[in-house]
Amino acid sequence: MSCNKENAPELLPAQGASGPLKFQMRMASDPRLLAVVRSTAAELAAVWGFKDEQCRGIALAIDEALSNVIRHAYKNRCDQEIELHCQAHADCLEFIFVDRGESADPAKFCGQPLDEVALGGRGTHLIRQIMDEVCYERLPGRNRLCLKKFLPGARRKV
Amino acid sequence: MKTATRQRPGTTIVDVTGDIDMGTSPGLRKTLLDSLKRTPRLVVNLREVRYVDSSGIASLVEVLKEARNTEKQLVLFGLNKTVQEVLQLTHLTRIFEIRETEEEALRA
Repeated sequence: MSCNKENAPELLPAQGASGPLKFQMRMASDPRLLAVVRSTAAELAAVWGFKDEQCRGIALAIDEALSNVIRHAYKNRCDQEIELHCQAHADCLEFIFVDRGESADPAKFCGQPLDEVALGGRGTHLIRQIMDEVCYERLPGRNRLCLKKFLPGARRKV
Repeated sequence: MKTATRQRPGTTIVDVTGDIDMGTSPGLRKTLLDSLKRTPRLVVNLREVRYVDSSGIASLVEVLKEARNTEKQLVLFGLNKTVQEVLQLTHLTRIFEIRETEEEALRA
């Protein structure tokens, strides 16, 4: 395939390249998609000014949240639907997960003490360690989890 | 995620490559537990691991528990920044025997 530059469309100047960025994904509850989503989350964080270590952390938190949905809400069924809404605000990144699986135990999102040799329970611990706000709600027929990560120096809600 | 196994006198080395997440950690767990059955010392090379999540960490903890129960040795080496960060966030850096290089791991 050749690339004829003379016929290439002229790039349009970016219009309104400021303000919040948002996009959403609707994905199957298939663990093979985790790598796709975490790399997207890390790229979004990098675009929004987070440092490399923070981008890796955000990708990990997103991965852990999705893994929890697949494992607990959908009991490892791979053909269910998960919505992920991402929005970059001036001061933070916000990720909202919506699934129609079984409800979660809200106590598990409260950060349990870590037992060093326990096999489970580290996912929610990691999410809480990395993200600044974690809010789980059971809505009629669905679960909604909202994660926020503020930019360094951004004012957080008290 | 892929694994390859090498033998040294008294030691099995498992080279792990790729991402360890909930989709791939069951395979890693099985490989490591099977290898541990056949060796007194298991050395795990994580140098080519780009990513690990809590399910991967749980697999390593399970192998460590099995090694302790059977009086065998588990040594990890070649942890990159990503893997180190996850171990630190889960407060697990002290329970594993961790070395920088393969030579150091074989001497552990």
